[in-house]
Amino acid sequence: MKKKLVAVLLTAAMAVSLAACGKTTEKQPEVAPEQGTEQTTEEKTGDTEVVINQGSDDAIANLIAATEGTVDLTLWCSEMESYQNTMKELVDEFKNTYSDVDFNITIGAQSESTCKDEVLKDVEAAADVFVFADDQLNELVQAGALQAVTTTYTFDPLAANGAGAVNAASLNGTCYAYPLTASNGYFLIYDKSLLTDEDVASWENLVAACEAQGKKCGFDFGNGWYTYGFFSGAGCTATLAEDGVNNVCDWNNETGVAVAESLVKICSSDAVISIGDADARAQAKDGDLIAYVDGTWSIEDFQAAYGDNLACVKLPTFEVNGVATQEGSFAGYKLVGVNAYSKNVGWAMLLAEFITNEEAQMKIGANTQEGPSNINAAASISSPALSALGAQSAFADLQRVGGNYWTPAGTLGQTLYTGTDDVKAALDDAVAGITAAAE
Amino acid sequence: MKRLLKAIGKYFADFGTAVSKGDIWVKLSLIIMGMGYIGRGQVIKGLLVTALEAVFVLFTKNISWPYITKLNTLGTVQREEVFDPITMTKTVNEYDNSLLILLFGVLGIAIIVAFLLVYIGNIKSAYRIQELKKNGKHVNNFAEDLRELVNDKFHITLLALPSIGVIFMCILPIIFMVCIAFTNYDAAHQPPSTLFTWVGWKNFITLFSNKQGSTFAYAFVKVLIWTLIWAALATVTTYIGGILLAMLINHQDTKLKKMWRSLFVVTIAIPQFVTLLLISKMFGNYGIVNGILTRIGLVDKLLEWGWISTSYVPFMTHSGLTHVMIILINIWVGIPYQMLIATGILMNIPSDQLESARIDGANKFQIFWKITMPYMLFITGPSLVTSFIGNINNFNVIYLLTGDYVTTDASLAAANAKDVDLLITWLFKITSESQLKQYYMASVIGIVVFIICATLTLVTYSRMIKGDKEEVFQ
Repeated sequence: MKKKLVAVLLTAAMAVSLAACGKTTEKQPEVAPEQGTEQTTEEKTGDTEVVINQGSDDAIANLIAATEGTVDLTLWCSEMESYQNTMKELVDEFKNTYSDVDFNITIGAQSESTCKDEVLKDVEAAADVFVFADDQLNELVQAGALQAVTTTYTFDPLAANGAGAVNAASLNGTCYAYPLTASNGYFLIYDKSLLTDEDVASWENLVAACEAQGKKCGFDFGNGWYTYGFFSGAGCTATLAEDGVNNVCDWNNETGVAVAESLVKICSSDAVISIGDADARAQAKDGDLIAYVDGTWSIEDFQAAYGDNLACVKLPTFEVNGVATQEGSFAGYKLVGVNAYSKNVGWAMLLAEFITNEEAQMKIGANTQEGPSNINAAASISSPALSALGAQSAFADLQRVGGNYWTPAGTLGQTLYTGTDDVKAALDDAVAGITAAAE
Repeated sequence: MKRLLKAIGKYFADFGTAVSKGDIWVKLSLIIMGMGYIGRGQVIKGLLVTALEAVFVLFTKNISWPYITKLNTLGTVQREEVFDPITMTKTVNEYDNSLLILLFGVLGIAIIVAFLLVYIGNIKSAYRIQELKKNGKHVNNFAEDLRELVNDKFHITLLALPSIGVIFMCILPIIFMVCIAFTNYDAAHQPPSTLFTWVGWKNFITLFSNKQGSTFAYAFVKVLIWTLIWAALATVTTYIGGILLAMLINHQDTKLKKMWRSLFVVTIAIPQFVTLLLISKMFGNYGIVNGILTRIGLVDKLLEWGWISTSYVPFMTHSGLTHVMIILINIWVGIPYQMLIATGILMNIPSDQLESARIDGANKFQIFWKITMPYMLFITGPSLVTSFIGNINNFNVIYLLTGDYVTTDASLAAANAKDVDLLITWLFKITSESQLKQYYMASVIGIVVFIICATLTLVTYSRMIKGDKEEVFQ
């Protein structure tokens, strides 16, 4: 059934693009798969080219003319104060830009990480425009909650944003959302007064350095989001199957076993701890934790803990069969989606375009700790965290895993952390859980 | 059973008599419900009943019937939309929404059943009035009918609203939820964009049999065992603890009785939510308790002895230890309630019994086991059952305390369960935290929980009430 829906949408999109060809000869840039992600993405987006048509200005004029009364729109974005304030500014600018129309735009606070759950609770009552993390794209598309971005009116998101972000916003050759930020990944945060560049280059060095100083380093082993990096770095896969619901995973092959053994070895040191990020911030403040894998959202707290000694770097390497292997990671993006059930789809699309254009992204980048996905905006903003993310991005994969991934992967991480005699059995169990049919 | 069948038989027999022996007015009311009343001068009542019939017909025909006809498939037309980039608007087809079909279908059928009952009652009533007229007895006018509702038939007036409330707020939603257990409603089949449909007993089979690739059956047994152990231990420990604490405070040598009692009540005054979250942080891997244990060197000693393998005591993250901790913490949280109840009852034990026991030379333990405890058990028996059932469904304690727990049992993980989950928290995880949102499995588990609770309650209550135990303590 889903396939059919997608097919119908595609046909509609194609028909539209044929019709539009006569009028516009806009260049339609091809999306190159991000470096380092070919392995996981090429099955899904590699051979289908994402196409967005450029709508004419007439369309906007028509829309303004056709609009009667007040346009009610709801926008959901992060509950963080800096976000809320910036969005409020942007919404005011949006109202000024289209001053002929009477808007009533409500901004709601909704964490990007749980946006999907709120939207899918009652998609008809959800916000018209919402910001969400790119890992939710698959489920949102499956549930038919996202308006496909087949035409844009004020700028071309495909050309303006980085290829990785565009890939993250696309599925099966259709773009479903407007990229907003490109900093939802993780990297290593450490105290540079205590650790040298050499120390943070590999987990083995890092553990040895921490042991020597009686300090700790670590990450959240119980969370499959972080565990993924070790296996993907060594070349193992865990990603969506063809059907878009179930997973394929080969972590229990020989390489996977070597990775797991290496992890067990790293974790056997008392200096390595499995710790969630709330606890980690407290430990960093106490001075016990001097290196931790986390993302931009925690930077302010670590800044408070480490002060000027805060440093960020790409993830360390670790030894697989005696060879130093770069740890991979998930690259995360924040996207802006338009609700397919919105009563004012046209205006919702224009608002989504407005809050993701270059100026808006600059503003968001400047007011929050996040890195823009817009190429020009990204070039103008720099911070240690963003450059670490940039360095890591070459080893980062798009987050495309089905619902059955998380609990088994978290359990695997926890098992390896607490130590096990039979690594192969733990991996077999995890793979069985991850690939279990979701029906 | 026989009586029930007889009653049903009589119900329809009466209806048959009414139809066959009724005169023209009764027969007319088969079509227009109010005619039976109007023909005998009860015009207002007749009009009201006819209006009710009209509302029913309109509602069923226009609103619920289209849904009821689709109940067998739960909808066949998938939502399809086309966006027009020139006008920036979109057209959507007339699509089916499985959830609404199920909801309005159940509601519509319930209303039809209710209407049929009213309809049959109406014919009988019309016939009764015909008989009254024939025998020359008085037939009420509208004012007299109304007056009757606050006098002779006051129970009907009082119970009408609550009954309707119970049916709409409790029974219909339950039927609806039970129906979900027989569908494939999950994240992949989520209205309004996608349809779901009936799958029969498949989900029950998934829960009870070890089907290839599914670990639900395994998880179910594990979770069920822990749920029962937890419910029994949590109930018994807080119950005994509460009684002992109450006796301790009531003891003649205890000074400042009121202060002690108030101190324990304070723990009730703080919301459980806050207490539990705080405790779970305190006993966290890097919480204050582990901090203290590390500083005093106990953690190192434990490591040395090989009791733990981590640089902290995994109070809340180790299968086994966490189970014990949950029960201990629950004792702390639950005892004050039981103490309050026990205090009240202890003060009411007939003193003549205690006195005569003492005169007969019984010692304190004998008095406690032979008089106090039986008395307590008799009085609090029903509330014990309730608290056992309450503990089976004790979501708060388990969910708030075990947020950091990650299971190392891969089979449990595959079913989205943890070693420390109760059926109820497992159900919650399946619907809210899992990405797959297997509502149907949650519904199946909900039904199983209901069956367990209902059976336990029925069995224990009927045992408790059996015999003339009430006499014993009078």
